[in-house]
Amino acid sequence: MSSPTDPLLSVRDLRTSFPIRSSVLRRKAGAVQAVSGVSFDLPAGRTLGLVGESGSGKTTLARTVIGLEPPESGQVVFDGQDLLTLPPAELRQARRQIQMIFQDPYASLNPRLTVEQIISEAWLISPGVVPRDRWAAEVKDLLARVGLNPDHADRYPHQFSGGQRQRVGIARALALRPRLVICDEAVSALDVSVQAQVLNLLVDLQQELGLSFLFIAHDLSVVRHISDEVAVMYLGKVVETGTTAQIFAAPVHPYTQALLSAVPVPRPWAAPPRQQILLKGDIPSPVSPPSGCRFRTRCWKAQDRCATEEPALAVRLGEHSSACHFPELPVAAAGAR
Amino acid sequence: MDDPLLAVRDLTVRFRTRAGTVTAVDRVGFDLAEGETLAILGETGSGKSVTAQALMGLVPRPAGEVTGGRIVYAGTDLLTRPRSERRRLNGTDLAMVFQDPLSSLNPVFRVGAQIGELFRRRRGASRAEARRQAIELMDRVGIPAASRRVDDYPHQFSGGMRQRVMIAMAIALQPRVLIADEPTTALDVTVQAQVMALLAELKAEHRMAMILISHDLGVVAGVADRVMLMYAGRVVETGGLREVYETTGHPYTRGLMASIPALDGPRERLTPIKGSPPDLTRLSVSCPFQPRCDFATDVCGTERPELAPVPGRPGSHRAACHHAKEVAADVVPH
Ligand SMILES: Nc1ncnc2c1ncn2[C@@H]1O[C@H](COP(=O)(O)OP(=O)(O)O)[C@@H](O)[C@H]1O
Ligand SMILES: Nc1ncnc2c1ncn2[C@@H]1O[C@H](COP(=O)(O)OP(=O)(O)O)[C@@H](O)[C@H]1O
Ligand code: SF4
Ligand SMILES: [Mg+2]
Ligand SMILES: [Mg+2]
Repeated sequence: MSSPTDPLLSVRDLRTSFPIRSSVLRRKAGAVQAVSGVSFDLPAGRTLGLVGESGSGKTTLARTVIGLEPPESGQVVFDGQDLLTLPPAELRQARRQIQMIFQDPYASLNPRLTVEQIISEAWLISPGVVPRDRWAAEVKDLLARVGLNPDHADRYPHQFSGGQRQRVGIARALALRPRLVICDEAVSALDVSVQAQVLNLLVDLQQELGLSFLFIAHDLSVVRHISDEVAVMYLGKVVETGTTAQIFAAPVHPYTQALLSAVPVPRPWAAPPRQQILLKGDIPSPVSPPSGCRFRTRCWKAQDRCATEEPALAVRLGEHSSACHFPELPVAAAGAR
Repeated sequence: MDDPLLAVRDLTVRFRTRAGTVTAVDRVGFDLAEGETLAILGETGSGKSVTAQALMGLVPRPAGEVTGGRIVYAGTDLLTRPRSERRRLNGTDLAMVFQDPLSSLNPVFRVGAQIGELFRRRRGASRAEARRQAIELMDRVGIPAASRRVDDYPHQFSGGMRQRVMIAMAIALQPRVLIADEPTTALDVTVQAQVMALLAELKAEHRMAMILISHDLGVVAGVADRVMLMYAGRVVETGGLREVYETTGHPYTRGLMASIPALDGPRERLTPIKGSPPDLTRLSVSCPFQPRCDFATDVCGTERPELAPVPGRPGSHRAACHHAKEVAADVVPH
């Protein structure tokens, strides 16, 4: 069993691929490796932010962790047990403790069920968590906990606003008393005033229930706000990871620097000076990723070595890990200190 | 002072819906000078897109209708002109870029042909000439290998490249006013930065006036000269960008600012706006923001605040709040 210092979730060299079928013959014509050797640790009660452009493999990684996609190889160790080799009964026990909140609360809530039915569905599927005679009371507790009116348990999803529906999604995720909650762009579709409400709620829930979050978002300000640690993904790989302070104040990978420099800030004149880095083009297709460093086709620092030698994720400069042959502090940040 | 290029007054747009009549745009007014960029900001449903539709003459009928106001462009009130005349202005005078390029590009025609069509139909260009101009334009908006990609279909382009195609089509006939409705909302930040840089460049190059619509206070901060915040179909605050962002005169603007997590400095608990946006079918005589407002007093529930200069601020800075003075005097919490 695990000791208190062990991470709650530990992912090792995880790879997940999708077959590509040729459109003419529907025959297998290769594979896209959407997650390409990802490793990280998430300590109990903490939040790991996962950022990267769309297509970088964040959702696939999350779906692999909760068992919705079979990995090609690697380990997903939850509370000391490798989920990929666990017998079915234990696996079910473990999986119950990992829940997910999705971007689009409307698409993920069955419109024909009341909120009470939506939440208690989980207890039907996983009996033994909450005894039947406690369901109604527990639903009310959960609704109150996520800031909804407990008397609205008999309402349908369409009777709630977008932000309220996301709260329903959170209540449903909490129903099975998880220890790890994966938030996949859970606040991305919300208007900023409502997004702030939901972020505060997540922070409160984490403190009250000791939850761990794997928090996926493309908004870096949001990730900075909620995360203890951050992993930056590019084309299926983690290119830089460290504490939130390390990643935001001292990023050494050119991709992280570019990503940060592109974040629009509302009062640029009041923000610390920063160098705008405009990346060329789009993220390449993961079907045929660039050789060597996958970022090299958009990197302004790329040298010959980048095309031939893949940079490993390792502590290179400072105290956190990065995967670039030429790690450097950003010019503006280095100057500001 | 010169007459502005575009002067909108009391623009009102209503929709008939099953739940009742919705005033999606409620007596909105603003000026836009040549070469100027105005950002229209606000959350979902505040009336930004419908304002743009009204400017372009694209309010969906019969559900929607412009029920009042004036849209004076280069001295003429467009709302008094026949449809055919307004259609002739689209592209040459007013042009628009939408959030979702896929829905506004025709999936069965090659991209080059769709751009070239503008030159053929509106400028009488030959097929060869139109193609040449399409390639030139694609190249100008930063589409790599334009002479090859001109024959590709919309689905063969990435989201960012499709948005560049849409921008190419919008600027093809060198409009004097470009309206961009959430042009980067569907894009990744790195691509968003590219597209915003492109828009800023094009604007400077053609001395275009631009109306940039966004829900993101940060996205517009690099390009807008002035901002206009909308809530429940109404303009609640307007003024110079820094004026409004630094000495906010409306509690809604202030609430939005406080809801955005910072990219630097200490991480503090966010102070969101309480509650959720109003149901537009059930607006009363009160200030529409009153149920969510920390500054509200009795008068807010009985009298609709009109847009007026924020006391103690330059005249161009206006807010629709009974307590604008107190709001502006308070330091915005960051
Ligand atoms: N079910 C699937 N079948 C085939 N390819 C997929 C599937 N799901 C995702 N992909 C591909 O895997 C890559 C990573 O996608 P995803 O994990 O959704 O990234 P992100 O969440 O970071 O945007 C993309 O190139 C995507 O097209
Ligand atoms: N086609 C339509 N039919 C009925 N109502 C509409 C339609 N389009 C917009 N509305 C109404 O107008 C309001 C403002 O919409 P919109 O301008 O699209 O908001 P925004 O662009 O600020 O998110 C919406 O809340 C909705 O009530
Ligand atoms: S008028 Fe009153 S309710 Fe409306 S924003 Fe100002 S203080 Fe708040
Ligand atoms: Mg995703
Ligand atoms: Mg809109």
